Amino acid sequence: MRRPVRPPSSRQASPPAPDMRGATSAPRSLGWLLLPVLLVLALFLGSVALLFFHAFWGKDGFSLVYFRQILERADYHEVFLRTVSIAAIVAVASAVLAYPIAWLLWRLPRWRNLLLVIVLVPWLVSLVVRTYGWLVILGPKGFLNETLKWAGVIQSPVPLIFNDLGVVIGLTHVLMPFAVIATLSVLLQIDNRLEEASESLGAGGFETWRRVVLPLSLPGVFTGLSITFLTSMGAIVTPILLGGIRQKMAGTQIYQEVVYNFNMSKASTWAICLLLLSGLGLALLRAAEAALVPKADR
Amino acid sequence: MSRGSISITGIGKEFGTATVLDQVDLAIDGGSFVTLLGPSGCGKTTLLRLIAGFLEPSRGTIAIDGASMQGVPPRHRPLGMVFQNLALFPHLDVFENVAYGLKVRGAPATDIAGKVSRFLGLVGLAGFERRRIGQLSGGQKQRVALARSLALEPAILLLDEPLSALDLQLRRQLQVELKSIQRQLATTFVFVTHDQEEATMLSDTIVVMNGGHVQQVGTPDAIYRRPASPFVARFVGDINMLEGRITSLDTASVSVSVAERQISVPRSALVGTPSVGKACQLACRPESVRLGEAADDALSLDARISALHRLGPTMKVVLQGPLGPLTALMMADVPHVADLAEGKTVRLSVPSHSLTLFVST
Repeated sequence: MRRPVRPPSSRQASPPAPDMRGATSAPRSLGWLLLPVLLVLALFLGSVALLFFHAFWGKDGFSLVYFRQILERADYHEVFLRTVSIAAIVAVASAVLAYPIAWLLWRLPRWRNLLLVIVLVPWLVSLVVRTYGWLVILGPKGFLNETLKWAGVIQSPVPLIFNDLGVVIGLTHVLMPFAVIATLSVLLQIDNRLEEASESLGAGGFETWRRVVLPLSLPGVFTGLSITFLTSMGAIVTPILLGGIRQKMAGTQIYQEVVYNFNMSKASTWAICLLLLSGLGLALLRAAEAALVPKADR
Repeated sequence: MSRGSISITGIGKEFGTATVLDQVDLAIDGGSFVTLLGPSGCGKTTLLRLIAGFLEPSRGTIAIDGASMQGVPPRHRPLGMVFQNLALFPHLDVFENVAYGLKVRGAPATDIAGKVSRFLGLVGLAGFERRRIGQLSGGQKQRVALARSLALEPAILLLDEPLSALDLQLRRQLQVELKSIQRQLATTFVFVTHDQEEATMLSDTIVVMNGGHVQQVGTPDAIYRRPASPFVARFVGDINMLEGRITSLDTASVSVSVAERQISVPRSALVGTPSVGKACQLACRPESVRLGEAADDALSLDARISALHRLGPTMKVVLQGPLGPLTALMMADVPHVADLAEGKTVRLSVPSHSLTLFVST
């Protein structure tokens, strides 16, 4: 089974495969077509090199002061823990909410294009505008709290934003379409004769889903989990707008160091730690997928 | 009547405005090997899917062992199905594929293990239990698909061109095995194919279909020797067709004029109702055309050999005669075949019992 596109971060990290050059039979004069690729690669590798330089090389030469700071300060531990927890919750919430939507899109080929537009249309609106939309709905004087108060369910507003819950809601909303598309792309590859075969062997609709469709769609679910997890790990705008002032995520901390404190060394150190944690999370996801999805499929 | 009989009455099926099946009546005996044979688009696969229950007929009824299948979902019909692309579950190994139906049914684990090993043994795949589907060859996948659909011991097995993707040699081998398995289990097999040799080799009964209609139902021998229409005659093997016109009739024979030659054909060769002046087609199989023998057969004339083709053990001789082109087929090791050469003129004859006369309607 062909696998859907991996999240960009994992692709960029690997160097170009050497055998690709030998495989092409294009005339040598077309070599200049490689130029854009090399340019992008040079910029990418250059900025990574710069990142490492800043992280280890401060004003007074080689230094590990910011690494030590991260290891020692409990409030920084809390920031990283919050970042990983929120990213994990967002990834799982997106996958769980996206699956029925993707399933519905797959089951209704006539409506698929229309429904897909509805899923994707939020992307036409700027991230900042969409996030401000949540303020209107979830704020202390927002639609939801006012409605619940009017209905007499609550006396005082429930804090739905300016805390971790707000960040989870905002990020899940923004990232869920990725999970829908990742899951749908795998569902669409399932041969519908497999369902007929299952049915002819006595299985009903739910049984067929549980025994055939679900296991075959798991690779798409895992791709969705990877994309949403990695994107949430580096989130900046949503936590700034919907998160608590003191409840920072790693992304907002880096943003603050770069934009307000001009401390490139600290920002770079944080970025490297964030990258390591993301890589760790991705490795765990891969391991879970390997355990759940049989080899022949992958 | 044994288990697994199918009775199809007045079946019609439309997709939108296209009529795919029209007024199909068919009775299939329990325990027999029946082939639905026809060119692509003739409705044979649609008929199979109607029996399976994946489609509902627009008209008519299907009954299995006397019970109407109207509104019965596929999973409650007493049948198994082997799909054209096999549709094996790629995430399960061979054992799990074969065990699928038994597990769905909730059979105890010991029963499942016993049945899986019995049916894998039957298809010659004992020891392959833990192989993954992706590791199997085309023929092995075929066997797994067969074992999977047989594991529930259905009264009827539907097979939708399952061998079409295999190379010729493997196909021949699996045909022999398929037939022997069918004989052992006495399950009704309904097999869809467009390959007339496959149909002839496998079937007790062949159902020739074309354009959504059943053209003829009969044993392979009857279909070959007494085709009910020029379409069937052409579809189940090579045949020489000569266009002619009926010139006179009497109680024993019909006189036909072909290319201004009078040929007398016995009434027993007749398909359709003859009348003087009607157009007709005189047909004979290439292997009935005799060369170089002086005989007083119904058809006897001189013709020039325009081509010789060696086909395995046989020799195909293309002749150009006064009636138009004719093809003769004979065993290549018959002594006088060595005398044949392109450009030579030979005497050909066709015995009257080998002729079929189709009267145009």
